[in-house]
Amino acid sequence: MNVTPELFLNFLIAGIMIGALYALMAMGITFIYSIMKMINWAMGEFYMIGSYAQWFLVSFFFGSAFWFLGVLATAVILFLVGLVVQWLLIRPMFSTGMERKDEYGTVVTIALALFLRNLATVLSGPNTRSPDIDLGRIMIGGLPVSGNRFAAFLGALIIIGLFYYLLNYTWLGRAFRAGSQNRVGIQTVGINVLRIDQIAFAIGVTLAGLAGALLAPVFNVFPENGAVTTMKGFEIIIIGGMGSLPGAALGGLLLGIVESLGSVFIDTGLRNVYGFIFLIIVLLIKPTGLFGEKERLS
Amino acid sequence: MNLLEITSITAGYQEGIDILNGISLQVQPGSVTIIIGPNGAGKSTLLKTIYGFLKPRLGQIHFGGQDITSNLPHEIKHLGLSYIPQEFNIFPQLRVEENLMMGAWIFRRDKARVQQQLEHTYGIFPALYKFRKARANTLSGGQLRMLSIAKEVMTSPSLMLVDEPSAGLAPKIAAEAYEFLMQTRQALGAAILMVDHNMETALSLADYVYVVDMGRVRVYGPKAEFDVERIKGIIQECLMGA
Repeated sequence: MNVTPELFLNFLIAGIMIGALYALMAMGITFIYSIMKMINWAMGEFYMIGSYAQWFLVSFFFGSAFWFLGVLATAVILFLVGLVVQWLLIRPMFSTGMERKDEYGTVVTIALALFLRNLATVLSGPNTRSPDIDLGRIMIGGLPVSGNRFAAFLGALIIIGLFYYLLNYTWLGRAFRAGSQNRVGIQTVGINVLRIDQIAFAIGVTLAGLAGALLAPVFNVFPENGAVTTMKGFEIIIIGGMGSLPGAALGGLLLGIVESLGSVFIDTGLRNVYGFIFLIIVLLIKPTGLFGEKERLS
Repeated sequence: MNLLEITSITAGYQEGIDILNGISLQVQPGSVTIIIGPNGAGKSTLLKTIYGFLKPRLGQIHFGGQDITSNLPHEIKHLGLSYIPQEFNIFPQLRVEENLMMGAWIFRRDKARVQQQLEHTYGIFPALYKFRKARANTLSGGQLRMLSIAKEVMTSPSLMLVDEPSAGLAPKIAAEAYEFLMQTRQALGAAILMVDHNMETALSLADYVYVVDMGRVRVYGPKAEFDVERIKGIIQECLMGA
């Protein structure tokens, strides 16, 4: 294949754009992990719920002209779903002081993933769907870019920006950061750690759901669409370093670029393999991931 | 009236294995009360139980006349109690000032009070002001202990539960840790309930002494009734199973 500089740039831009969405998903996983020290294996299914919510809201309520209202409504829905799911399934193990919470969390969230996937199949059928959103093409530096992809990219940047603001410039964000470093410490200053867990879980799954909503017009909406996304999310957090939000952001961008450029230079069909190869290379060079630490203080 | 009154507390980490076996204890307002005992006597467990990290199976805990036996740690903090665990109780990747502000969480919406308490705390610990923009994980051991205590000063508590303030510290830094505690007591008029292995120093600061063993109070009384040799003798008896 003859790769011109224009084609290279085009794929690089495409990689960055999709990478921002990957970053959103990975930040959700990392955020929950860093606060609650458990991995939510159902993150892909919250991505799936977000994509279905966007399809449903755009198709039956807002229409394609007001697709962005669908994204906002999806955020509210996912946040509420996150609060309820955490309260029902995760909170009991934290409030009863049981041991091996992470193992319990693994089992419960895998079961939740299977339940949500099957529930989606029952409710919507196995068919693929897509919200009727067509934002045409826009030109970036003389290169044509899908409007839907660009809107998703912009949306992801805005959400990441808001998330950054929340974490760094609000009391709640400071509590999240403190809680990720010293769980006993936040209780001694008077924070209800169970409430912090609940809100963190809800925010984490909202990030995943928003990635799903923004990508709904780009990729198809179907019950299994979260499965690959979950795997990519985990690839990213290992590339970026477990528990590191900047690592998740950079890891997402890098994965998007690697997949995109790999598709141009090698083979499009192996797109999902490039991420794993990149992951192995990163781990060989830096076993803790790009931003990972050998051991956290406290 | 006693500031803290613990009555026949029985508690443990696992069902059927009690660490505290009916322990009773009182703390007077503004006093320094120390708890001494051999390893495994239940000293740290007692502090965790008072602060709500561990639910007692039996007994009652009253603070300022209020029953706090079933309260959770964040509820207890609101009542004017603070807990300084053995480890450095700080947030390593937050800046020093952010750590102090976290100490003001319970009145975070009152910006003027947060600022006032920050200034008050810097007044007690001026060294921290110099490092206010530094991340906590760049501080030395002594500075970390100072920050752990200063964070609690932010709420001007009436009782501080302190677990082994000198644990793992070099003698010079340990001496500083006691100095920070006494500065705090002087500035706030707060009572201190302290678990300590460092008998000589602890005794020199104490108003009341409790010697505990096997989750019970073995001997207690005002400081005047104790000296290091007597306490050593009691602990030896505990270890011999007498």
